[in-house]
Amino acid sequence: MSATCEFQAKDYKSDLKPIWCPGCGDYSVVQGIYRALAAIGRPPHEVAFISGIGCSSRIPGYTTAYGFNTVHGRALPIAQGIKLANPDLLVLAAGGDGDGFSIGGGHIAHLIRRNIDITYIVMDNQIYGLTKGQLSPTSQKGRTTCTSPYGSLENPVNPLLYTLAYGAGFVAQASPTDLAGMAAIIEEAIRYPGFAFVNVQSPCVTYGEEAQQIKGLKAISASLKELGHDPADRLAAMDLAQHYGEKMHLGVFYRNPEPPPTYDALIRERQVQLSQGALPKERILDLFIKK
Amino acid sequence: MAARIDFASLTLKDALDLAVLIEDEAKERYEDFAAQMDQHRTPEAAKFFRLMAVNEAKHGQELAERRGQLFGDAPRTVTRAQIFDVEAPDFDEARAFMSPRQAMKAALASEVKAQAFFVAALPALKDAKVRALFEELRDEEVEHQALVKAELAKLPPDSGLSDDDFVDEPAAQ
Ligand SMILES: Cc1ncc(C[n+]2csc(CCOP(=O)(O)OP(=O)(O)O)c2C)c(N)n1
Ligand code: SF4
Ligand SMILES: [Mg+2]
Repeated sequence: MSATCEFQAKDYKSDLKPIWCPGCGDYSVVQGIYRALAAIGRPPHEVAFISGIGCSSRIPGYTTAYGFNTVHGRALPIAQGIKLANPDLLVLAAGGDGDGFSIGGGHIAHLIRRNIDITYIVMDNQIYGLTKGQLSPTSQKGRTTCTSPYGSLENPVNPLLYTLAYGAGFVAQASPTDLAGMAAIIEEAIRYPGFAFVNVQSPCVTYGEEAQQIKGLKAISASLKELGHDPADRLAAMDLAQHYGEKMHLGVFYRNPEPPPTYDALIRERQVQLSQGALPKERILDLFIKK
Repeated sequence: MAARIDFASLTLKDALDLAVLIEDEAKERYEDFAAQMDQHRTPEAAKFFRLMAVNEAKHGQELAERRGQLFGDAPRTVTRAQIFDVEAPDFDEARAFMSPRQAMKAALASEVKAQAFFVAALPALKDAKVRALFEELRDEEVEHQALVKAELAKLPPDSGLSDDDFVDEPAAQ
């Protein structure tokens, strides 16, 4: 790992011009990521940024980090493989609510229980943006879309409660209503030694509902810090997380005050232990040869 | 808009630095919007946003020079994290194919927002020089509003059509 040095937000901005719709919340998220990475100060080539498929999943391409725009719903398995193969990399994963909680919904639980040091940012717009406005797992009940013309009958997934319930050590929420706050939250998530989840309310201006646009979000936003919430209190975090969809609480819901060892660290430890009693490389073949 | 500033203890140096950061932020947002408009083939709005970016850069430069004359290169103690969207339009103000009128209205709303910021801060300010600066900045925002309004007045009358007028109804199958 190289020593950290001075970087500016612009050092993480690639030459690729975003093709998101003008006004899309994802523009703010990429800005938040540039600022957070600059604050951390790891050179771009030491950052691996993995995403799935969706409008939001285009995000790695707009950074100078190594990026992999993978397959729909599969950002997390690939990010885990990358982190385990090269634990020195700073690994970020990102995608949409559909990518993370529909098709990829099964992966997050396993990443959480393994506690691999990856920061996962979901750009939650309560819709499938890329495929033109179908119902997503976080869409509100009653929502009319092209796939729910009479209104959805399903309750939404609550990404905050979901990740807290599985035992994530760091769970936070941000939004473009406060870019500086978003950058600080992403920075804190990256610095957390273990799996960290940041749900960003990132409005889709094309298929999203009026109430989910920035002005609507401002009206329901509340800072967890100003509410006096203690991020070490997991039960209080779960209580607050229940208001997902009605209130937009911004800040850190939960930060494990005593982060347990990460899977990547345990693997290294095990490698060291096992290598002590292991045969020297040149005698490995002996294991397969009957004497 | 979120501001994390202790107005009561704000010094003139910090106030000038914050004013520069506010202009920088607005300049960057307008540049971003102009790039989004270029990308989505909306050249007139792009041109207007670029003009706004140039204006914000000019004001920022003037304020930075004043700061330099008064305080030289004394280190800056305020940060960008203390301000947010004071004069910059909200992220979702840009739209593909927005008309120059819509672009100007977005800019006008931001100038009004900035004026409100300086007005709201005034009662908390203790330092007379900082107060004078904030009053000056407040008045400048009013001037900027007048400039944008003058540009708006030069536009041909609105067609009165809304975005919905351009949406195709579902075709009978
Ligand atoms: C296996 C597979 N199934 C379906 C799709 C089609 N598809 C692409 S993106 C997407 C959903 C995008 O929604 P979300 O993840 O919320 O991202 P957003 O576009 O809203 O940012 C779907 C269903 C696909 N690409 N691959
Ligand atoms: S469709 Fe929605 S999510 Fe996709 S780029 Fe446009 S505004 Fe953003
Ligand atoms: Mg989505």
